[in-house]
Amino acid sequence: MKESTISPGLLWTLRIVAIAAPLGIWQLVIASGTMPSMLPGVEKIFSAISEALGQAAFWGGLGKTLLAALTGWLIASVVGVVLGLVIGSVRFLDNSTSILIDFGRSFPVLALMPVVIMLLGSNTMMEIVVVALSCLWPVLIQTIYGARRQEAAVADTVAVFRIPPMLRFTKVLLPSALPLIATGVRISSAIAILVAVGVEVISQAPGIGRQITLMQQAQRWDLAFAYLFFAGLTGWAIALLLQQAENRLLKWKRQNDD
Amino acid sequence: MTNATLNAPAVPSRASKAKAPSSSAAAGRKILVSSWLIVAVVAAWWFGSANSTNFFIPSLESILEALVRDLGNGVIISGAWYSLSNLFVGLALAAFFGICGGLLLGEVPLLLKIVDPIIHFFRAVPQAALVPMIIGVFGMGQGPKMGTIAFACMWPILLNTIDGILGIEPTVRKFSKVYRIPRGLHFRRVILPGATPQIVAGIRVALPIGITVMVVSEMFASIEGLGFYILNSSATFKVPETWAGALLVGVIGYIISILFVLVEKRILRWYHASGAQ
Repeated sequence: MKESTISPGLLWTLRIVAIAAPLGIWQLVIASGTMPSMLPGVEKIFSAISEALGQAAFWGGLGKTLLAALTGWLIASVVGVVLGLVIGSVRFLDNSTSILIDFGRSFPVLALMPVVIMLLGSNTMMEIVVVALSCLWPVLIQTIYGARRQEAAVADTVAVFRIPPMLRFTKVLLPSALPLIATGVRISSAIAILVAVGVEVISQAPGIGRQITLMQQAQRWDLAFAYLFFAGLTGWAIALLLQQAENRLLKWKRQNDD
Repeated sequence: MTNATLNAPAVPSRASKAKAPSSSAAAGRKILVSSWLIVAVVAAWWFGSANSTNFFIPSLESILEALVRDLGNGVIISGAWYSLSNLFVGLALAAFFGICGGLLLGEVPLLLKIVDPIIHFFRAVPQAALVPMIIGVFGMGQGPKMGTIAFACMWPILLNTIDGILGIEPTVRKFSKVYRIPRGLHFRRVILPGATPQIVAGIRVALPIGITVMVVSEMFASIEGLGFYILNSSATFKVPETWAGALLVGVIGYIISILFVLVEKRILRWYHASGAQ
């Protein structure tokens, strides 16, 4: 395919046009009055975005969402990696758990939320549990794949030198599974945010999702859109950050492949 | 584009394909190995909860009783029909717009370069946060729910379609050009099949997102559907029904994913047969 040669300045101009055009259409549609009247105009959303930045409720909500998502995600990552390495390296366990894991990963955990709420109440603790349960599967499955594809030569070497299990775990199994683990951890980070916000939307758990529903019920649509914008920005920043971290962490791997 | 995020984990290629079970005993052993744990878990749940005095943890027996009863009187069937029709219409819309948009962006690199950051922003919006917005604005009918599902599921399909098209070998394109394959034919027989494996992977990623958004949309505002059944049961303290509904959604999710793998194998038979990976 031919590489399009275009100056960065022009590219950014075009990008701004590409962002401005839908906003202009949005404004026109609002002005024409064909859409439900509660939709705010562009200028209102912009002023709401700056208003949100000065609100304690907004920052508090965002912080609580991030905290719950992060905690659940960390728990899921640790549990998933440890379980995955054990299951993936023991053939018998691998075969025994496959149905259970297939079932678990296709289970929409948010459907379990009312049950978890009954058991734990509608609070941050419950949110963390639901997030952790949702994030566990991608990490677990990717780690199992990673632990499974041990090269025969490496496995033989480990056996011949009688490497103790603990050393084998940390120095052989973990590094060789790391690229796949990284992918699983990254996938589950997106899930963590999605589920955390989802939990907040449905339940009374505090956070940005709850703020969005509150603003919407209070007919402050402009603020609701502003919060949605920041929710997207956060998700985007996290995805970018993890991609960078993965590239740096797995540099040795990339160089090997080339 | 660097969106390895969206590459669905590889389809499990279990070691079984290397050696076929030599006898029926070996086959029986294999089934035993793969199923004992699930039997043990269900048994543990059954007996562990049999004499449960905790109001919120009913016995598995009463959960299944509630499930069978509501399956029999049609409450769940009509709810499941409502939910699944939302899911499939939403997914179909997402696939249509995602594939069309992906084809366009994949074929016009300049356009892709311009909108790339915008796409990545929209993909990162937590899909569940859209539920109160879209339903709040457009009402709680079936249409807005389908729309929310479609919007949430579109991005992985779109991004994967783009990746699939960009991944088509340049030699293949050159061949198509050298033989002056007409545009329509080139699109239908070269570009589309070339991107199909990635498109299917995108739909596989979109599927659980769709199910999640489906449940959230019904729990948020609905008087029908499986999500409503679960939430309504819990709101009226019908605890076994709540568990039954949650379990059922899980089983449905599992069945859909199995069916999808079967369909995928069928669609991509030529691809797997070619040995490409």
